[in-house]
Amino acid sequence: MIRKSPMKQENRQTISGADFEEYFQPQNLEKALEIKAEYSDQIEVAAGTTDLLVANYEQLHQIKNWLDLDKIDELRKIEILENELHIGAMVTHLQLMKSDLIKEKLAVLAAAAEDVGSPQIRSRGTIGGNICTSSPAGDLLAPLLSYEASFKLQKAGAERIVRAEDFFTGPKRNLMEADELLTEIIIPLTENEREGAWVKVGRRKALVISTLTLSVVLEFEADKIIEAGIALGSVAPTPIRLWEVGELMLGSSLTELDYKQLGQEVKARINPIDDLRGTREYREDVAADVMVRALNEIERKRG
Amino acid sequence: MQITFTVNGEERELEVTPYTRLLDLLREDLGLTGVKEGCGKGECGACTVIMNGELTASCLVPAPQADQAEILTVEGLGTRDDLHPIQESFVEAGAVQCGYCIPGMILAGKRLLDENPQPTEKEVRYGLSGNICRCTGYAKIIDAVMMAADKLAVEGSDSND
Ligand SMILES: Cc1cc2nc3c(=O)[nH]c(=O)nc-3n(C[C@H](O)[C@H](O)[C@H](O)COP(=O)(O)OP(=O)(O)OC[C@H]3O[C@@H](n4cnc5c(N)ncnc54)[C@H](O)[C@@H]3O)c2cc1C
Ligand code: FES
Ligand code: FES
Repeated sequence: MIRKSPMKQENRQTISGADFEEYFQPQNLEKALEIKAEYSDQIEVAAGTTDLLVANYEQLHQIKNWLDLDKIDELRKIEILENELHIGAMVTHLQLMKSDLIKEKLAVLAAAAEDVGSPQIRSRGTIGGNICTSSPAGDLLAPLLSYEASFKLQKAGAERIVRAEDFFTGPKRNLMEADELLTEIIIPLTENEREGAWVKVGRRKALVISTLTLSVVLEFEADKIIEAGIALGSVAPTPIRLWEVGELMLGSSLTELDYKQLGQEVKARINPIDDLRGTREYREDVAADVMVRALNEIERKRG
Repeated sequence: MQITFTVNGEERELEVTPYTRLLDLLREDLGLTGVKEGCGKGECGACTVIMNGELTASCLVPAPQADQAEILTVEGLGTRDDLHPIQESFVEAGAVQCGYCIPGMILAGKRLLDENPQPTEKEVRYGLSGNICRCTGYAKIIDAVMMAADKLAVEGSDSND
């Protein structure tokens, strides 16, 4: 039996004249792209809504048009295609941390997802939302830079692939155009051994906005490092990849590296934001420390 | 717009707007006041429900996204006369002070024990990490979840006999 319960209007928060016009909940991507093409910046895209509802706290009624991606199953896939891992934009943090494929191939991304917010946030928040919000403190962003991820941006009838490193242009700013949606995150895989570490420094275990995150992904051929993806979050207006520090490590085995020195190299290259969540000097020193910690962890994992 | 969802085992059809949050829908339209509003911003866990099997902050869910969902609130867990073992444990452990955080804590505890029936204390802390107790009764709340794990283990073995 279905019980009908009418909405009690009198209990609603005051609706100051404004009201919503359209709520679209398309079942497939094609339809979503058509709607986005038509409404462009006059529509709010809703994924897991953990950022959207907080940003619009107490003024949700002011959002005129909604494009809800929740029902588009094709955006929730994690799959390998031609030696690349494809992650749909609507994949949640919870899915990432539970996925065997992600844990095996992209352990640092899985670890970062496990550190996001709380169970209540991880079950809803998506990788696409994390990327599109483009907060310098977004936990998944440094790992995506380490893994050299690219993002697929689609609009009706066209698509382009943008490197993660080029995508972020400033705090809460990115290259996405008003008629585009982020649909996929693409990460190249390798046959070589990959080992990595994730460090998040914050004030409290759960629900912290990161004061600093570090993601280190090393690729080995025998014992020699042939790729080194060092990336940090919350230390600059965008997440950053430290290419020069990575280059210093190439061709060496772990035992040949001076971890302390590499920590200083990291410290020398960051430009932390001085804000309430941690002063500049504090962040610089922490950055050097966590680099050493990360390298020790990788050494331990390789046994 | 119209949505259909199942709350505590009962199918419901409701008229909603996108700016109605699942929290408002449950509390005001359905009178399920065990779902509390604390911060309204995903930070405190007072509004926690289990939606499609996962812990969810109902203050961050626009009502249309609850369409077709299966939702459990604390009211669906047990009644006053027939408490769920987790609820019993909260009473017995003396874990309830003002009580505001408790429905969310109980649901977080239930979700954890469903997946991991014998959690360590650390795992309990991680499972409850989205729920804040302003009375800071964490030690007893964690005791209560550990106690519930034992109760459920005994019940489980009983029913297998
Ligand atoms: C209490 C709390 C704690 C949090 N803790 C953390 C944390 O520890 N670490 C962290 O990184 N983040 C944290 N967050 C932030 C947030 O949960 C994450 O950034 C999350 O991944 C956002 O995803 P979403 O699906 O909820 O995004 P939404 O809120 O749905 O969307 C965010 C923005 O991106 C746009 N968007 C989303 N998907 C697409 C798409 N596919 N194409 C185009 N535009 C899109 C939306 O229009 C919106 O502007 C926290 C948030 C809360 C409320
Ligand atoms: S009211 Fe929803 S988390 Fe605080
Ligand atoms: S018992 Fe008062 S908030 Fe937890």
